[in-house]
Amino acid sequence: MDRRDFIYRVGMTGASLPFLNATAASEQAAAQAKSVIYIFLSGGLSQYDSFNVEVDNPVLGKSKIINSNTDGIRVSHYYPKLAQQMDKLLVLNAMKTNQGAHPAGTYKMLTSYNPRATVTHPELGAWVNKSLTTQQDSLPNFVSIGSGRSGTAGFFPGQWSALPVKNPSQGIDFAKRDPSIGGDTFKKRLNILDSLNSDFQGKYGARDTQSYIDTYSGALKFMNSADIDAFELNREDPNIVKLYNKSDFSRSCLLAGRLVERGVRFVKVNLGGWDYHDDIYGRMPSNANKLDSGLSSLLTHLTQKGLLDSTLVVVSTEFGRKPEVNPNVGRDHHPDGFTCLMAGAGVKAGQIYGSTSKDGVYADEGIVDVTDFNATIAWRMGIDPGLEENSASGRPFTLANRGEARPELFI
Amino acid sequence: MNFNKKLSILTLILLAAVAFTLSLSAGESERQSAQAPEVNVSELALEIDQVVAAELKLKGQAQRPQIDDFTFCRRIYLDAIGRIPTIGELDRFIADARSDKRARLIDKLLHSKGYNSHWYNYWADLLRVKDIGDKLHHSGNYSEWIKESVRSNKPYDQMAYELVNASGDLYKPGNGATGFYAREPMPLDHLANSVKTFLGMSIECAQCHNHPYEDWTQQDFYQLAAFTSKTHLRVEPLREEEAKLYAKHRAILKNRDFDEWIVYRESIRVKHAAIYGNGTGYMRLPHDYQYKDGEPHQVMDANVLFGDMPEVSYKVSKEKLQSMSKKQFGPEIGARSAMADWMTSPDNPMFTKATVNRLWHSIMGSELVGQLGGLTQEEMGAHPALTEKLISIMQVSQYDTKLFLSALFNSRAYQSQALALTTTPPPYILDGPIVRRLPAEVLVDSFLSLKTPTPDKYVATKFRWDGFTHFYDKSKDMTAKDFVDYSVSGPGRQEFQNREEREAMKRNGQMGPKALWRVSTFGRNYKNHWLAMLMGKSNRELIDDATLEPNIPQILFMMNGLEAPEDTLIKRKLSQATTKPEKMTTLWKAILSRMPKESEKVLFENEPDDILWALINSNEFRFSK
Repeated sequence: MDRRDFIYRVGMTGASLPFLNATAASEQAAAQAKSVIYIFLSGGLSQYDSFNVEVDNPVLGKSKIINSNTDGIRVSHYYPKLAQQMDKLLVLNAMKTNQGAHPAGTYKMLTSYNPRATVTHPELGAWVNKSLTTQQDSLPNFVSIGSGRSGTAGFFPGQWSALPVKNPSQGIDFAKRDPSIGGDTFKKRLNILDSLNSDFQGKYGARDTQSYIDTYSGALKFMNSADIDAFELNREDPNIVKLYNKSDFSRSCLLAGRLVERGVRFVKVNLGGWDYHDDIYGRMPSNANKLDSGLSSLLTHLTQKGLLDSTLVVVSTEFGRKPEVNPNVGRDHHPDGFTCLMAGAGVKAGQIYGSTSKDGVYADEGIVDVTDFNATIAWRMGIDPGLEENSASGRPFTLANRGEARPELFI
Repeated sequence: MNFNKKLSILTLILLAAVAFTLSLSAGESERQSAQAPEVNVSELALEIDQVVAAELKLKGQAQRPQIDDFTFCRRIYLDAIGRIPTIGELDRFIADARSDKRARLIDKLLHSKGYNSHWYNYWADLLRVKDIGDKLHHSGNYSEWIKESVRSNKPYDQMAYELVNASGDLYKPGNGATGFYAREPMPLDHLANSVKTFLGMSIECAQCHNHPYEDWTQQDFYQLAAFTSKTHLRVEPLREEEAKLYAKHRAILKNRDFDEWIVYRESIRVKHAAIYGNGTGYMRLPHDYQYKDGEPHQVMDANVLFGDMPEVSYKVSKEKLQSMSKKQFGPEIGARSAMADWMTSPDNPMFTKATVNRLWHSIMGSELVGQLGGLTQEEMGAHPALTEKLISIMQVSQYDTKLFLSALFNSRAYQSQALALTTTPPPYILDGPIVRRLPAEVLVDSFLSLKTPTPDKYVATKFRWDGFTHFYDKSKDMTAKDFVDYSVSGPGRQEFQNREEREAMKRNGQMGPKALWRVSTFGRNYKNHWLAMLMGKSNRELIDDATLEPNIPQILFMMNGLEAPEDTLIKRKLSQATTKPEKMTTLWKAILSRMPKESEKVLFENEPDDILWALINSNEFRFSK
């Protein structure tokens, strides 16, 4: 088993081959996005303090409008760096969800389904992982960076869930040998383990025990793999590293860019903390600054590497925030008309799609439901949004629920 | 060691009859009055073995060899209390010369704190106690209710009845069964889950359409749902209380100080959050009903899925209700308790069958009847006579799960060599345990057996308070004005929950260092147990959602993340051993609960730390055999 084989094999132990619709995918002309970087802002980004400023002035609270590098696009002053990159971004200002609480909203955004107590649905990344993984892939195709919901495979086998990277600067947890254990000692330990396991296998061996033996060799290959350096930021070209600042989110974006360069299909990056029910103008700017810096560095990074044409970068959140600032100087949840972003992979960059009513109360024109949003991402990767899979009890579910792809968002 | 209790079959029958003819609102106490069974565990074990032996004979298979004391000791610790024995516990058992030492150990473990820890994990998974949830769906009290039920060995049918029939205040200590309803807001999902939990059947398809390959129709589903109609979680005070007590200050605070208003709202919720509704017996078909046998919004009266319909006394006729607004579901008539009776009755064939199927699976590693959550009414498993025998033992034991487990543990079938399930013959005919991976919590708790000689020391022996139950308790005597004071001059919005949690912890007294807690002690207040999650613990969103499959992060942790600090039991034992063979024997006994084999002695030349690493990483450690 060579290193290109192991992730695949390990994941596959005891399971049937994944549903590969790569053929079907290539027939769809749209397969322009080879990879997706999915930035999820959990807590609920305030659209009126970021990218939807074309509303009545009182709605903007303390946000000030600034011009961007693109005619016709203005943004909040909390995003000065991204203002200089708006030519690369498509702003979706009339996003809509049917969920107004965090767990349910997050679940809906990431899976396209309302949470139910009888089944868990796979996240979009798991659908991508299951649909596009081939034997040639040397790295897992679904990686989740940062804390927060880590990328569940729902009713799919666990092998399709995200490989979690809690801290981007530390890479995969426990992927390095304890430094106090020398290479020879480690080898000796593995030999002892082999002899114990083969003895056990003789008498009690079954599929499950073999599956553990396989996963050990998979994990070892991973530890020794040339590809593991994809997770090591200090191996990155200093000219790329210096594009980013030192915040965790920026480091996560750097890692995401690095993984995409290695061919990873779906990288989720979590940036939480957006739930500002009070003191939004005291507490939000530092978080806005993280997003502003990290995302603009990432766009530069991908552009410099020539990856932006084949990488779809999206920024989403579970819902937006209310047009009025509450007595506590915060904003409460608002599912009807919020903002998401897209960049790369041929998206109509430098444009705004959709609008809310001027009072900011509802999504008005160019409404994109969160299920449509997910359908569009899948479609752009060449996966049919109506792709159907059965849960363990035989209930059929589709990738994007009833969502429909929106080709008009692309050139 | 026998469970010397008195059995009265007559009482049982009478009870069932009463439960089925009356719509009992006080069903719990009626059930409790059943006298405890007088049964002889070793006789029950023998009955199991006779049924198994007959099948072996019929199939021309030999009995599996019996296991030695080492294997037995490890197995019974794992299955009864959810961890490997410590080296001291193993030594003591081996040294015990009494002929009935196995039965004695079984009895001892079933009555130990370790049992309470292990079986809490089991029931909490089945009943889906969420460790982390929305604030007001906080699971602390639910979790405590299950722990208390395990500690007091509450009969399982009673436990199930109390869950299905739960109502009243969410945070009232002792009323945590309400958590079963509070944990999920959608009543139809909840019903499908109740059926899967207690009857082992999967009817969720029928929630939205006729079941594709079974008989259940959407109407069947709605007729069952009619029993529980209008059952709901309400977190705010009832309208009259609100108007009389709270409304005035709520308005004043809202206009004056947002934080104070929030504290006012949240603290009042803790006092008043409750499960309301005891079932109207009526349900309406959904607005998109698509079949010819009914109309959208048509009123359905209650009916059970199978068996006799319990009596329900309606106050309004179906015709009358049909003529009313489609939002009307009729007055409450206690229909839910009738369903609880039907569902958890010894006369409900699915209830007992699902229960023994689950318990057998937990102990033997295989399905006795069929899929844990996907049984059919006809299904009796690969060995129907055994299924029947175990059903009858469960009934005779009056759902005393300890007694049932004791019968299983004392059987020759349980104490025979584990089989690795492969495709090679002979076929497995449910004659004993199969080789399977330890559940996540058992694996993690087994690390504790290497750390300390007393791994169960900090398992709770009594109710533990959390911020919610503590505040509820305090709020008993709080007037509306007290709530205002608490909101205005109390700990404040940022702090009030933390303060209540701290006070609750104080009230609980010493709980010991977290490093020495068993997984069952962790929970919302102490964060989720990341290592158990890594090992495949269920997140309890769904029934039977734990996994035993490997993944790369888990193995990386086992290889590179496990540490054995010097002050742990295993290291102390190692340093006490003077010779190399002694050290090696110590390691084998502590980790694999057995002596090293002759063929393994070539490994003795290695360093103890290397052997320690290899043994903990070995399949023999993580699998039960």
